[in-house]
Amino acid sequence: MFKKALRALPIALAVAATAGPSMAEAPEDVLDALIKKTNNSPYLTQSPQNIMMMPDNPAWLVAEAGEILFKTPRGPKNASLEKCDFGKGPGVLEGAHAELPRYFADTGKVMDLDTRLVHCMKTLQGFTNDDPAIKKKHGSDSDIMKLQTYIGSKSSGVPWNPPMNHPLEKAMRDAGEVMFYRRSGTMDFSCATCHTQDGKRIRASVLPNVYVPEEWTKAISWPAHRTSHEHVRSSQHRVLECLWQMRYPNIKNGSDASIALISFWTDAARGQPAVVPDLKR
Amino acid sequence: MFKKTSTAAAVAAATSLLLITGGCSATNAGKTEAAKPAPAAAAPAAAAAAPKAKSVDYTAMSPKALAEYLIFESGSYELDQPTQEGTTGRARLTQDEIQKACSLMKGEEVSDKAREKVMALAAASIKYPEGGIKLGDWKKGRELAWSGFGYRTAHNPDDHSSREAGGNCYNCHQLATDRTGGDIGPSLTGYGKNRGSSPDMLKYTYEVIYNPHVYFACTNMPRMGATGVLNQQQIADIMAYLFDPASPVNK
Ligand code: HEC
Ligand code: HEC
Repeated sequence: MFKKALRALPIALAVAATAGPSMAEAPEDVLDALIKKTNNSPYLTQSPQNIMMMPDNPAWLVAEAGEILFKTPRGPKNASLEKCDFGKGPGVLEGAHAELPRYFADTGKVMDLDTRLVHCMKTLQGFTNDDPAIKKKHGSDSDIMKLQTYIGSKSSGVPWNPPMNHPLEKAMRDAGEVMFYRRSGTMDFSCATCHTQDGKRIRASVLPNVYVPEEWTKAISWPAHRTSHEHVRSSQHRVLECLWQMRYPNIKNGSDASIALISFWTDAARGQPAVVPDLKR
Repeated sequence: MFKKTSTAAAVAAATSLLLITGGCSATNAGKTEAAKPAPAAAAPAAAAAAPKAKSVDYTAMSPKALAEYLIFESGSYELDQPTQEGTTGRARLTQDEIQKACSLMKGEEVSDKAREKVMALAAASIKYPEGGIKLGDWKKGRELAWSGFGYRTAHNPDDHSSREAGGNCYNCHQLATDRTGGDIGPSLTGYGKNRGSSPDMLKYTYEVIYNPHVYFACTNMPRMGATGVLNQQQIADIMAYLFDPASPVNK
């Protein structure tokens, strides 16, 4: 019941300065509704064990650690992250992840949760790329994943709605779409090879279909605790893993190509509620 | 527009896509890593015309041009990452003719002309064993059909000196029922028992494994022979796994 502890925490700390009442919905309830809506999609229902474990998702502990990190003054500038603008104004976390990636005028770039977080850790807290706080991108014990899990959890149940008003947002999404269908590498794979049919499997793993937004929303709901890794993972990490299977070379964390892919995949889940933190195989 | 190499993409970027935006914040994405001029790509004129303040306007590119730019010119991928076959990540990301013809977007279908071209390219790629198509050792074939090891790079490169690369067949096919296979491709359970092992059937199967586009243009099945992932002995072993009456596939 880490979740309950997490929800009690803000009150205990009495720091609800910027956030209004939580509009986040419990991920297990969001998932349950999606399962009903899809008439038991084989992808959504493939692991009854994970579904049962959702209320006790180990990711909640990671989110809890993230909340403390978020609110604690840190770094050379001894500042907290409470003034970080994730697109809905400084300090507004509710629903922010559901509207990423988006264009940020202060950097002139389209950024996802990962890259925006790093941006704030640099500008507000004074961390540099060589600081462990920024350098370590993966694993439940990394600051980046703790913070992402906390911030992401504030969008649970919120429909994905990445803005497409700025021409750059649209350009990145459209290029990501081309990349999704672009075949290359030793095995001729594109993302579409594995993610455009209903209920197909690679070995025992049921694949989510990008054309079924009610399925796809769970696919792109990161951070998620991966039971096979025993770590919370990010969107960036999932991109990396699929590219590895595809025999593609390494992609850089937060690179424009990774953000284009994430822009397309988030748009494909538009209107469906985020399930964060999720629990995956 | 974009031919074989990323150099072509770079040339296109350098000649038509580089804009001097004068610091306009709306269009300066990618400004820092913009157009590291690949020596061959940067025409001297373009380099002179766009020195420091140059910036690439992503919004002025077509989605396809931007995708190529992001892949080859934005510094996103480790293009120099070594591969097991001795090339680099750049080669892995560079499309050949079949990959280009088969990168179909949603709702797009391969045209008759493209289909013919793909099938002809596939037919031309197939090399047959010198002594004719034979079956090898089904036990070796069983492990090769199961193994998904090999050629993966990214954050965790496969070390081929520790283990040979596999055929990945179980990723997409159910074969013998003692192991769980995927279903991107059709079930091959009972393959030899159901189809017999006539010379035509052996030839068909060899060709499908070598380069399936010869029968199924733009299929999702990889070209295991044409890309060199499997050699002729390994294909013979996998074919034994499919055809041998003693193989669990036919039990
Ligand atoms: C060879 C098949 C294959 C290809 C190609 C592929 N994926 Fe995947 N993908 C998988 C498998 C297997 C999973 C894990 C699904 C599971 O465990 O249920 C997965 C998972 C995912 C997930 C998360 C869903 C989850 O439950 O873990 C996303 C999002 C995703 N892929 C996106 C992509 C993108 C984007 C590309 C192209 C860059 C891509 N995939 C290419 C096989 C593939
Ligand atoms: C990425 C998925 C994938 C992998 C990996 C794969 N296949 Fe296939 N295979 C397919 C698909 C899809 C088809 C159906 C052809 C089509 O219609 O596109 C197919 C068709 C076949 C057929 C023809 C079936 C028939 O009914 O005539 C054979 C034989 C075959 N595959 C054998 C293999 C073997 C052996 C391997 C391993 C070396 C393998 N495949 C690996 C996807 C795959």
